[in-house]
Amino acid sequence: MKLALTLVVRAGLEKKMKLKNILGWSSALFLSAIIAQAQETNDSAKFNKQLQELQEKFEKQQGELRESFEKQQRELRETFEKMNLEQQAQIEALKKQIAAGPTNAPPGAPAQTADQIKELNEKVDSVVEAQTKTRPNEFNPSIGVVGETVFSHRSGGSDTTGADRPGGFDVFQRSVELNVAASVDPFAKGYIVANASADSAGEATFGIEEAALQTTSLPWNLELKAGRFFGEFGRLSYIHDHELPFVNRPLALDQYVGGESRTDGAQLNWLLPVPHYVSLTVGAGNGFGGDSPLNNPGTYRALSGLNYFGRLSSYFNLTPDWNMETGMSGLINPTTQDRGGVLVQPNGSTLTEKERRVAGLDVKLNWVPLRNNQFRSFTWGNELLYSDSRYLFDPDGSLNPAKPAPGLTGDEYMGGVGSLGLYSYVTYKWHRQWSAGFLFDYVQNAQNQDDETMAFSPYITYALSHWNQLRLQYTHTDHNAVSGLRPDDAIYLQWDWIIGSHSHGWQQR
Amino acid sequence: MKRNLFPILVLTVAGTLALAAVPAQAAKVRVVTTLTDLADLTRNIGGDHVDVFSLATGVEDTHGVPMKPSFVPIMNRADLLVLVGFGCEHAFLPALLEASKNPHIQDGQPGYVDCAKGVVPMEVPKSTDHSAGDVHPYGNPHYMLDPVLAKTAIQNIYDALVNTAPEYRDDFTRNRDAYLAKLDAKIVEWKEVLAPVKGAKFVSYHEHWTYFAHRFGLVYFGTIELRPGIDPTARYIETLVTSMKAEHVSLVAREPQFPEKVPALIAQQTGARLVKLPIMPGGVPDTETYIKMMDYIVHTIAQTAK
Repeated sequence: MKLALTLVVRAGLEKKMKLKNILGWSSALFLSAIIAQAQETNDSAKFNKQLQELQEKFEKQQGELRESFEKQQRELRETFEKMNLEQQAQIEALKKQIAAGPTNAPPGAPAQTADQIKELNEKVDSVVEAQTKTRPNEFNPSIGVVGETVFSHRSGGSDTTGADRPGGFDVFQRSVELNVAASVDPFAKGYIVANASADSAGEATFGIEEAALQTTSLPWNLELKAGRFFGEFGRLSYIHDHELPFVNRPLALDQYVGGESRTDGAQLNWLLPVPHYVSLTVGAGNGFGGDSPLNNPGTYRALSGLNYFGRLSSYFNLTPDWNMETGMSGLINPTTQDRGGVLVQPNGSTLTEKERRVAGLDVKLNWVPLRNNQFRSFTWGNELLYSDSRYLFDPDGSLNPAKPAPGLTGDEYMGGVGSLGLYSYVTYKWHRQWSAGFLFDYVQNAQNQDDETMAFSPYITYALSHWNQLRLQYTHTDHNAVSGLRPDDAIYLQWDWIIGSHSHGWQQR
Repeated sequence: MKRNLFPILVLTVAGTLALAAVPAQAAKVRVVTTLTDLADLTRNIGGDHVDVFSLATGVEDTHGVPMKPSFVPIMNRADLLVLVGFGCEHAFLPALLEASKNPHIQDGQPGYVDCAKGVVPMEVPKSTDHSAGDVHPYGNPHYMLDPVLAKTAIQNIYDALVNTAPEYRDDFTRNRDAYLAKLDAKIVEWKEVLAPVKGAKFVSYHEHWTYFAHRFGLVYFGTIELRPGIDPTARYIETLVTSMKAEHVSLVAREPQFPEKVPALIAQQTGARLVKLPIMPGGVPDTETYIKMMDYIVHTIAQTAK
């Protein structure tokens, strides 16, 4: 760089010198011509005067030219010296940078030769070329599959215990769940959860658990979800079976919500614009609960025929390691349109649901030590549910569809059943792979609050990895005399596995 | 009535004008960083013009920062989200980002500052299959433990700050240059300190030290984890101990978020020295800045490695 600058300056100087010589010779020729002309006119006085004037003019011009030349020469030298200083500074900086290691190239790597650079360029070109190839599948969504098998043994048959699976030894392929998700466009994402599960006859039944569109760019901290999805109600009702901290869904959620909180509808979530975390969700759907029956089809459905649900939740940091999550939920279906049909009771009377109302409170206390949260944690989760549905009571059972001529006999009346249910569980994790806990269940029948069931379930979980988990659980279920059911003792071995894409969602935190 | 109202009106207008005359305090750039090293770098570049909040406190696993809902309102109001990238935060950041409902810091937006931009990754897996554990598809994400590569992160943070608040460009430039000069001097010093133990072999719990070992000429022998995110089996530990003895591995590095039991056992059986090394500022006492953390790491290794 320094050499190049020297050459440039030298070229400039040579050019100036040449210009000076040409100017000198031109001036001399011009003077000679003037003198010759003066001799011809033979007017010596006039000639001398003109000559003097011309000589003065020439000397003046020559002086100006010299001055200009010296000025330019000075400026050029100054510029050169300045550039030289800057180059020196840059060279010093580069030396320092090289000493500190400018890239993650191996220390002491040999200098790149021309061949190496050429080879490198060819490799880069091939990579760039590969990137330009068309891939028909490049917009495919992320796909993952979850498998869940439950091996179990129950002490009594389902006819005596009220269980939803047969007594004795049982293997239940509870789910083969296909998860598909991708962005729809800059404004929304879509996801599908399709589940194949063995039915009571052992045959696989395939169904869409969720298929919803979720906005990603609504203003004012809003998010809209529409389609089929697990509506936000309670703490665990929108969690898939395999993500529960124990084997089976709590009895109260099964009884009042209908298992998972599946609905076909829309829900709007609002993150309140305050420094504290407060989240509000409201929604409406056609039916609510995965196992819950739909309203009677075939009749005209007003807006009151839909299910309306909502949840308000918050969070508190008690210490850096301890925190608490709280929530309250509500579900109302003002006109159930005889949802589930006429329900025959053990004593022969019937009930027909006219209005569905469920309310819930949940509190979860967590100990998550920041330092080794992958290895240790403690959770105490609680949810209290109150069902206050209204029914058409038929004491003499005249509406029983099994009767030859079902119909009203005048003894029917409208009334409500207020039932309470709750579950409470603790889970302690003492190793990245091991955790254990205990679940307590209590529920009153939604149609008869005197019919009570309690269950106690210790469980231990062994996670070989994030994607492969075994859980052993014992459950003792006890019914009171009103139910007419016998106690049940069950042992479960649950095996969950995940392949493909799997992300930890916000709700599963 | 009109006479009574007039003084009130005058006072109101005067008060409004007086308030308007008070120079408004310039708004700071609100930055959320995933880890504490990025928070320290952002504070050094941004100076008084930034408010920085780190999701991690320094003691967590870089892949397992707890997803606290209290982070959500802070992320909701952030101008910039500064992250390590290369999938380092895959277990907690996507869900938090979705919950934040902040369109400015989503992936692809100017507020999403991926500090891995410009870093050439090491250990890029040939296939992304979970038989290799919780593998990072884009390569090893722990480049921040190489102070030279941290300079790339500094430049990315600087570019994002200038883009967000161009009126403070001169301050950001001055702060960046001053910090880089300090860091360059420290890099030369750290190389000199580690020169006597060049070639020393060591193992760690998780694969945090690939870039560090590469930069300072150490030999990263392996990890105690069977695979990333998978705890070792008894057979694997036995094999590791045998090979460490044969290869004279002198150091067992335990990152603070992992339990001591297995690393201590391996150190005992191999005769190697057991040291606790932070992976981000605040991981151990007196390492609250990036330079202090690197000082701690370098001097601890220099004193214990053979």
